[in-house]
Amino acid sequence: MLFYVMNRLGLAAMIVATALAMLFGMIHIVPGDPASIVLGPRATPEMVAEYQARMGLDKPLPMQFLVFFLNVMKGDLGRDVFTNQPVFDLVMTQLPHSLALAGLGLGWAILIGIPLGCFSAIKRGSWLDRLTGVISVSAIAIPSFVVALYALLVFAVWLRWFPAIGAGKSGQIGEQLWYLVLPAFSIGLGWVGYLARLVRASMLEILGDNHIRTARAYGLPERWIVYRYALKLAVLPTVSLLGVGLGRLLSGAVFAEIVFARPGVGKLVYDSVVSRNYPVVLGAVLITTGLFVLCTLLADLINAMLDPRVREKL
Amino acid sequence: MLKSRINRREFLATTALGGAIAAAGPYRPAEAQTKSLKVRSYIAPERLDPIHYLGAPEADIFDCLYPGLISYKPGKEWGWQLDAATSIEQVDPTHVKFELKKGLGWSGGNGEVTAEDVKFSYERIAKPENKSPYRGDWEALDRVDVTSSHTGVIVLKEPFIPLFSTTLPRAAGNIVCKKAVEKLDGQRFTLEPPATFGAYKIKKIEPRVRFTLERNPGWPGERAMFDEVDFVVVTDANAAETAFATGELDVALLPMTAVPRLRKAMPPKSKLVVSPSLAYWWLGMQMEDGIFKDKRVRQAVQYAVDAQSVLDGAFFGVAERSTGIIAPGMIGHRPANKIAKPDLDRARKLLAEAGHPRGFKTEIGVRNSAEFINVGQVIAAGLAQVGIQAEVAPFDSGVQKAMASDKAGGWKKMQMHVVRFSMAPDPSWATVWFTKEQIGEWNWERFPDAEYNDLHKAALREYDAKKRHDMYVRMQDIMEDSGAYVFLTHGVNPVLHRDHFIPALAPDGNRVYVTKFKST
Repeated sequence: MLFYVMNRLGLAAMIVATALAMLFGMIHIVPGDPASIVLGPRATPEMVAEYQARMGLDKPLPMQFLVFFLNVMKGDLGRDVFTNQPVFDLVMTQLPHSLALAGLGLGWAILIGIPLGCFSAIKRGSWLDRLTGVISVSAIAIPSFVVALYALLVFAVWLRWFPAIGAGKSGQIGEQLWYLVLPAFSIGLGWVGYLARLVRASMLEILGDNHIRTARAYGLPERWIVYRYALKLAVLPTVSLLGVGLGRLLSGAVFAEIVFARPGVGKLVYDSVVSRNYPVVLGAVLITTGLFVLCTLLADLINAMLDPRVREKL
Repeated sequence: MLKSRINRREFLATTALGGAIAAAGPYRPAEAQTKSLKVRSYIAPERLDPIHYLGAPEADIFDCLYPGLISYKPGKEWGWQLDAATSIEQVDPTHVKFELKKGLGWSGGNGEVTAEDVKFSYERIAKPENKSPYRGDWEALDRVDVTSSHTGVIVLKEPFIPLFSTTLPRAAGNIVCKKAVEKLDGQRFTLEPPATFGAYKIKKIEPRVRFTLERNPGWPGERAMFDEVDFVVVTDANAAETAFATGELDVALLPMTAVPRLRKAMPPKSKLVVSPSLAYWWLGMQMEDGIFKDKRVRQAVQYAVDAQSVLDGAFFGVAERSTGIIAPGMIGHRPANKIAKPDLDRARKLLAEAGHPRGFKTEIGVRNSAEFINVGQVIAAGLAQVGIQAEVAPFDSGVQKAMASDKAGGWKKMQMHVVRFSMAPDPSWATVWFTKEQIGEWNWERFPDAEYNDLHKAALREYDAKKRHDMYVRMQDIMEDSGAYVFLTHGVNPVLHRDHFIPALAPDGNRVYVTKFKST
């Protein structure tokens, strides 16, 4: 197990380094000079040149990457070109908002999606199964930003049940949760459908397995078989999917952050790309890539804990 | 048959939950009960130091925390009024005497606001070694002489007309605390001003989310209407409109395209102020290389574009056609375009003379937003009538600027472009971008006129308003005669606000002076 974890951590480091190298190359391919954006239209060419030299932007690209990489090794992600704030601190102010949004969005999807899939599998072929199927596929098919816009219109503008924008005042947990309801609903709805379909398919497969047939032959109660044996195995692919999903949502919930004017890492990266704030783009992506890799690693470890067959292979 | 499996406990639990939700009722923000104002900030304030600020929303905050000697007078006409000064007088073209109000105190035990602070603030921006992007505002400053604790003289190297129209009333005129700023590393700050003295003080800063100010009890001036002001960061215009509808914003600058929608259905208890913008939109043609090097081709485009269709199609008839780059009401505003209406026959004739009787293919570069793309498409449809097949190519604004500045010739790819530049209320702010020095920077048409350049420089030193006006009119005539420009519109700035107060807005609607709001 220890070897497996070490192996995965080594792989994770390689993934992060590769992602960074690719990103570094890509953001420098996009035309646009951060110096002229930062200094504004009235900046003289001398001021632009001085700024580029100060930020190291006048050096060859491989050299810039090397400097960045060595700084990262020392724990220095650089500084925001506009505020001169350390990038790490800046990302850390946004990350809790992204974690809360991704966590709550996936959380309610798990609470609804997994029982829904399980129920559909047990009641296979019934009209409730078919109805659940239609609802699940619809939830997957509707783009999240459409859900967000309609949720905003109905629950914030018409009914005034929830706030439309922002994240609530810092330090007021209740208020912040209240502000999370609509964005979390919007990003989670599609996941309800995914999880329901995935769990249903897994359950159907497992309910036909030999060990389930054996359990039935022993006369174990159906509820016991379903929840104790079948569901435990059926959620394994779900755990892997959730690991990837959580990692993606940390920086991928940008539409929800824009529609609901929420702070978050996704919007930070988006704004920074537009303003060519390269240190922030790189630092934020480094942190979210790290978290993405961590989430998938955790998902694999949970799978290993739940499934003895996986453990044996380690 | 379907059998209900709900039991008594489940029924009670469900009923209780439903009752709790019903009792909670619709969401009401707690702030609605306090006397607070929530203003949209369309960019996240990141630099609250006038030496290197980024945009108007930051300058709105400066005026609450550290005003200047004068500020713009809110209303429909451009003019200025005293702010931190009790008097200010231009004694001759290069000397301006001022006297500060007494009793203005810096926060943090930094003493009273003095003429030394004024000297420090203005010379700090002017000094080349400080590399302020706003150095141009003080390019004519020689020094500020301090004559007593509260009086001084601004001494200019040469006459500088925009001093009262754009330097002093804008961010370059705001006063920062010498004692506090000198203690800072690099003598500049970003999100946390080291000292303030205005009608408000900082209550809480949540970076990229909101900037909350509260009343400064030590402010000796006129009492501001609101106890607390929240500058809420809402970068997306649609989100801002929704937030206004739900009561989470009280004042919001919205895009032009919102006007027809709002005129049909206004949110309750609200008002819309539609102010003419100073910004200017135009269709430009790069005249140094490629097909538009031929003046006849450029003129053909001038005759083919139906600007009114652009206004109707892309701006829903909200905005008026512009006659140049200087907005109505300002010195230098041109009464009419030389080519006021499309003339397709003449356009076809010019194309034939230029050797393109069947037209040609080209690209219109636009910024990647719906407004720009719509403008580009309406123009392309008009050009198609004379055989010019123009494809609309959306670009990120940074990419467009990079292409224009590309020393390796990337600018040659920029044949036609739709551009919008913002501006301050002095004509020199519009004309400066089209000088020869700006070729390869902001003069994307690569318009190289020597007479234009001379006029631009002379107008900066011309005190006679009539002569100055004529100079700017002539400059726009030269621009149109070059064939490289089709002036489209200045646009409008719609500001939506609650009806229980009268907002204090700049005449173009682009600045919000929250300290000067009045109750209805």
